[in-house]
Amino acid sequence: MPKVTFHHDGGNADVLDVEPGTSLMRAAVRNGVRGIVGECGGQAMCATCHVYVRDRYLDALPDISEDEEEMLDCTTAPRDADRSRLGCQVVVGADLDAIEVDVPASQV
Amino acid sequence: MTVQTSDVRPVPTAEWVTIPDLYDDPYPLFQRLRAEAPVHWVPAVGRYLVVGYEACHEIELDAERFTADESGSLMKRAMGHSMLRKDDPEHAAERQSYGSVLRPRAIKDHWNAVFEKNARIYLDQFKAAGPGADVVSQFAAPYAAENLRLILGYYNATQEDLQRWSQTLIDGTGNYADDPDVWAAAERSSDEVDAATDEMLAHLRDKPDHTLLSGLSHMPMSLEALRANIKMTIGGGLNEPRDAVATTLWALLSHRDQLDQVLADSRWADAFEESIRWVAPIGMYPREATQDTVLDGMAIPKGARLGVHVGAANRDPALFADPESYDINRPKVPHLAFGGGSHFCAGAWVARASVVGVALPKLIAELPDLRLDPANPASIQGWVFRGVTHLPVLWT
Repeated sequence: MPKVTFHHDGGNADVLDVEPGTSLMRAAVRNGVRGIVGECGGQAMCATCHVYVRDRYLDALPDISEDEEEMLDCTTAPRDADRSRLGCQVVVGADLDAIEVDVPASQV
Repeated sequence: MTVQTSDVRPVPTAEWVTIPDLYDDPYPLFQRLRAEAPVHWVPAVGRYLVVGYEACHEIELDAERFTADESGSLMKRAMGHSMLRKDDPEHAAERQSYGSVLRPRAIKDHWNAVFEKNARIYLDQFKAAGPGADVVSQFAAPYAAENLRLILGYYNATQEDLQRWSQTLIDGTGNYADDPDVWAAAERSSDEVDAATDEMLAHLRDKPDHTLLSGLSHMPMSLEALRANIKMTIGGGLNEPRDAVATTLWALLSHRDQLDQVLADSRWADAFEESIRWVAPIGMYPREATQDTVLDGMAIPKGARLGVHVGAANRDPALFADPESYDINRPKVPHLAFGGGSHFCAGAWVARASVVGVALPKLIAELPDLRLDPANPASIQGWVFRGVTHLPVLWT
């Protein structure tokens, strides 16, 4: 199963094995990962599942849609030009069987 | 989910809760309820009232166990069957049809200018009314109504029409007393909205613009669903920004030290988010249990009609320290005032832009010595919907 790692401030991490087809937001909310809220349930509407994707995984990510693009300008923690994504828009599976992200200091 | 039946508690009955007490000030009742259990059967309301944060949040994230499509819905009777009372995938398809009209880019490109213009108009009228004027009826309500009118695209109606439609349709939605006059007024408005909608759809099909009705006129949604959704949007898109303006201003004028902090660092967003946590404009919404289930340790029977009270959840001491206080400096915890999951408020960004970005800062900038009127106190009412209903203010 694909592996998702959420790195927190201070060096702690949540490492999850998740079903293919699961978004990072859904994986985090189901497993109680601290710092990922996902208020809108995955509609790219609330900007509370913001993550910073670690560099080595960036090339494997899907393009940023228009909806995600405008939400990334609404995040509470500052947007990183390369690494910021919405967790609800990144889905693990055949093209992405492992990913590591950093959880921002705040989502609200 | 695995739950040991021995851990499951029966839902207690709260005979002592009355609707007049809830309407006057529900928060002391919520405190007492919450201390005993996160869910109670409340005979006066005819619902399982959910007052705990965890329980409310669990419901929001699980439409399979807790459907939005409840039986005997007053909202369906008043407004028709809108997406707010549907589950995915039906809900998602209709929600998608709203497109980008209410999203941040459209707000930036089109609606902020509308908000600025309307703030100018209604602030001028408010100032002309003179000290003692009521912020709710003489600024917040017409401002919110005119914004909504122009976003939706009702060029054939006035902001007064929008206010009447919104209030009477909402009154129908909350007509638990089955008052025939309330139904008659809701029905009249429903007919008026349908006529206005049909006229605008025909017009906007030929002359498309950035409004919601224009977008919807090209969507493959049934007319029945479209009419219901637009009424839901009229109901939810007016009173909530109106109440957020009035309640936030009331909170700040009652806590001058916090108003000073807001002004020093332009912390209007903090003032707004804390205000809707403190007094959620939409306090309660319904769900129905699709199966016998366990909710935060409480046994809920299949068919149970739930009142999910996010206004109560937002003051749960398990999540919020000193929850009864208005405090813009409290640690950030996500409140539930915009709902959550797939029914998360579609107008959240419009509310933030129109209230945080425009109405509140402009009001205080133009009337910097705005203050409460000690001889004429504000009134605040409601429990399903709650807000400041009358806010007389003075200035020099």
